[in-house]
Amino acid sequence: MSNKTVVMYGATWCSYCRALKKKLDSIGISYQYKDVDDPGIRAEMNAKTENNQTIPVLFVGTDYWINPGQEILDAQFSNNYTDEDEQKGEKTLHDVIMIGAGPTSLAAAVYTSREDIETLIFEKGVIGGLAAITDKIDNYPGFEEGIEGLQLAEKLQKQAERFGAKIELGEVQSLKKEGDYINLQTTSGEMTAKSILIGTGSEWKKINIPGEKEFYGRGVHNCATCDGPFYRDKKLVVVGGGNSSAQEALFLTKFAKHIDILIRKDKWRASDVLIREIKDNDKITVHFNTTADEIIGGEVDGMTKVTKVIGTKNDKKIDFITDGIFVFIGLRPVTEYLKGSGVKVDDKGFVITDKKLKTNIEGIFCAGDVRSGATMQIASAVGEGASAALSIREYLGALK
Amino acid sequence: MKKITVYTTNTCGYCKMVKKWLDSKGVKYNVINLDDHPEKQKEIYEKSGALTVPVTLIEKEDKTEEVVIGFNLSRLASVV
Ligand SMILES: Cc1cc2nc3c(=O)[nH]c(=O)nc-3n(C[C@H](O)[C@H](O)[C@H](O)COP(=O)(O)OP(=O)(O)OC[C@H]3O[C@@H](n4cnc5c(N)ncnc54)[C@H](O)[C@@H]3O)c2cc1C
Repeated sequence: MSNKTVVMYGATWCSYCRALKKKLDSIGISYQYKDVDDPGIRAEMNAKTENNQTIPVLFVGTDYWINPGQEILDAQFSNNYTDEDEQKGEKTLHDVIMIGAGPTSLAAAVYTSREDIETLIFEKGVIGGLAAITDKIDNYPGFEEGIEGLQLAEKLQKQAERFGAKIELGEVQSLKKEGDYINLQTTSGEMTAKSILIGTGSEWKKINIPGEKEFYGRGVHNCATCDGPFYRDKKLVVVGGGNSSAQEALFLTKFAKHIDILIRKDKWRASDVLIREIKDNDKITVHFNTTADEIIGGEVDGMTKVTKVIGTKNDKKIDFITDGIFVFIGLRPVTEYLKGSGVKVDDKGFVITDKKLKTNIEGIFCAGDVRSGATMQIASAVGEGASAALSIREYLGALK
Repeated sequence: MKKITVYTTNTCGYCKMVKKWLDSKGVKYNVINLDDHPEKQKEIYEKSGALTVPVTLIEKEDKTEEVVIGFNLSRLASVV
């Protein structure tokens, strides 16, 4: 940036203005702040911006932007960013660190960052969590035609970032409360926070049968949206009788020519809508009272591949000739990094909270799929995220 | 110059993360989308020994190759 004067027009009640002000402060440039609640200043802004009625407005010399995004700030002020700033940034005490950028934390971050609570989210996998790797979401309110998981994830991310939340690609490895604050070990170094939101959701359970490890990623899979396209016009086995299994099997029929679904129990644990769709799909055969016991493979066309799944149906051995197996037998909460933190979990490993989504440790909150009692839906995950954010605000207010 | 190729599919979230990460590092790369080029499946298998995406192939100046399977941040950071 040259020596152009920087002026920002805003108001105290405007959250975008607070977010922009915070960004300008963190860049460390000098600028003049003008409050449009003063009628004279409002008239001045209107005159300089062709009667624009929206704030914030940022002037750099005679150029101006209405509610400028990060790209504009980067383009205007990147010379002002120094390594020292970045290092200083890393060492600062964070208001809240959220672990996992699934729907839970992204929703919570909309609330916290919009309230000027400085928010950092850690994500070790996909921003958007399990929702991002789901093909289509039909029951999230507000999208009457349904929405692709990846698209919803992008919207949630943009909304959180719009108010200033930051997402760090990395993993939280452990955490411990010391004094008033919580220290975290992460792949991006040591961090300290006044409060924590645990939003690490869940991941697929392994089936633990012979062949699973050997053929993992070469015929044994957990992610239909990732690996489904490898099975165009092929045969597949899907294991599991819940909603996720039903939904993923339906998605896989876009590629596979036939799918055998193996369900251990004598009925589905899925919603009627999905069961009906499966019944109507002539590419799918459902096998109840059936387990997958062993995965067999070998060399096919110069590649190591799965060739069959040996199962048991109604107590009799049965072979399923197949090109691959997708396993969706249920999810388990992700809490390994909480070992040594003292945060209490229930007998299945889900984090225990009270009604305000507080864990047993002051300053550590939990919401979404990883929480004991959660309903495992995106709508409830974002709802819990919002509630947790309000509890966090209350906690931070009392801490000051 | 290293030559980087990312194998993806249309619907894969982890593929998007690999591309996002490479973008954030200002690294240029080619994308091979298996939904558009199903014939490239064999190539992925030959390079990675797996039938999964994302797979990132890094061809170095000395013609040696590194392969990263999945969105594996620490592996990507060490080889890119
Ligand atoms: C196949 C399938 C289909 C589904 N379909 C629907 C549907 O149609 N409608 C619906 O409402 N719900 C659906 N769900 C459920 C929905 O996806 C979840 O309820 C929702 O994603 C939960 O959000 P979350 O933020 O609590 O957890 P998650 O989405 O699981 O996100 C947690 C995030 O935390 C990250 N993480 C974990 N540990 C760490 C760590 N140590 N450091 C950093 N990051 C970490 C993970 O990588 C992950 O991205 C579906 C789920 C599946 C599996």
